[in-house]
Amino acid sequence: MNDRRNSVFDGVLGDNTVLSALMVISPVIMCGDSLKNAEALSYAFTSITILSVLISSLVPKKLPYALKIVIYALISSLIYIPVKVATHEFYRDAIERIGIYFPLLAVNSLIVFQTEAKFFRMKRARMFFSLIFYVLGFDIVMLLTGVVRELLAYGTINGRIVDADVLISGLSQPFGGFIFLGLMCGLYRWIRAKIPDISKAGREQDASGK
Amino acid sequence: MHLVNEIIALLAANLILSQALGTSTLFIASGSRKNLIGTACVITIFAVLGSGAAYLTDRNLPEKYADYTLLIYTLSVGIIYVILLSALYFISREKFVKFRKYIHISAYNCAVMGTLFTVSGRAAEDSSLRNLGSYMAAGLEAGVGFIIAALILTAAYRKLNSSKVPAAFRGFPAMLVYLGIISMAVYALK
Repeated sequence: MNDRRNSVFDGVLGDNTVLSALMVISPVIMCGDSLKNAEALSYAFTSITILSVLISSLVPKKLPYALKIVIYALISSLIYIPVKVATHEFYRDAIERIGIYFPLLAVNSLIVFQTEAKFFRMKRARMFFSLIFYVLGFDIVMLLTGVVRELLAYGTINGRIVDADVLISGLSQPFGGFIFLGLMCGLYRWIRAKIPDISKAGREQDASGK
Repeated sequence: MHLVNEIIALLAANLILSQALGTSTLFIASGSRKNLIGTACVITIFAVLGSGAAYLTDRNLPEKYADYTLLIYTLSVGIIYVILLSALYFISREKFVKFRKYIHISAYNCAVMGTLFTVSGRAAEDSSLRNLGSYMAAGLEAGVGFIIAALILTAAYRKLNSSKVPAAFRGFPAMLVYLGIISMAVYALK
């Protein structure tokens, strides 16, 4: 029972999509400098990933590995089209700023590779809940990064000026994204090590070289 | 002086250091020099051939179907992926078993897919770049950029993973901060 609980919730803390597995880090580094960008990316990532993995789970398992990977990528690229239209309605400006990182969400490694390595080895209900938490793991990191970087780099939150004494403009740049994510990654590992139940599983994930 | 300018331009346009594309793959591959060379070479092949396919897509796809660009790029990379695997399989079964992992890891990779969109974006802004040669040269440049970033990371890999680094920051977190500092230096060169 304990094993089951760990594996379903792992995506948030034990094996976080961004901070432990280092998947989908380019959009976090490049576009995670404002809450609006983070919201748009989280919305798109959640929609594309959940729909793609669920539809991809219907692909026959007997097909050759490479062919299955191509089919998964094509499914997510197809789902990207309506999601882009919907995102454009809600986050018109953000899409312009996100640029090439928006289509890249559709071919992220959680869809293309982790489906075979992780999700499709689980039973359907368990896969669904596990997927939700892996997606949630990305969303939490993305939104947190967006809020903190926007606050420290521009002195605003969601475009509204707040009373910030110190501004670090470099945090809005790619190098600021790298450094901030590195520090968050270290902090995440430190917190994870303090929780005995998940620290062992997390260390194994890190050691597996993902 | 010309060579220095070229190196600076190559660093400034580096996909990893200036656009964070392919960073995860770089980290995974940096564990071993052999893996790094193999991955970098295959990513370069994918970037060059994929850029050629991107040129054909951009030239032939009508503007009203622009939303289908990703789908066609994905299909193009998929075809290259299957062709490379098949070619390797028919050349030598032994080499297929040995090298297929590099092809799997490189196919749908941000470094490759990001290159196609970056090259396409540059061509949209500058009409002189709208030819097959420029597209494939940009793909090659992206591959070389990946190799340069890989060499920079390999130089510090052992120290960033040593026991002297606090456990929480050892490995990936330290590598991210290190790449951030290198990226800052590249940003200053622009």
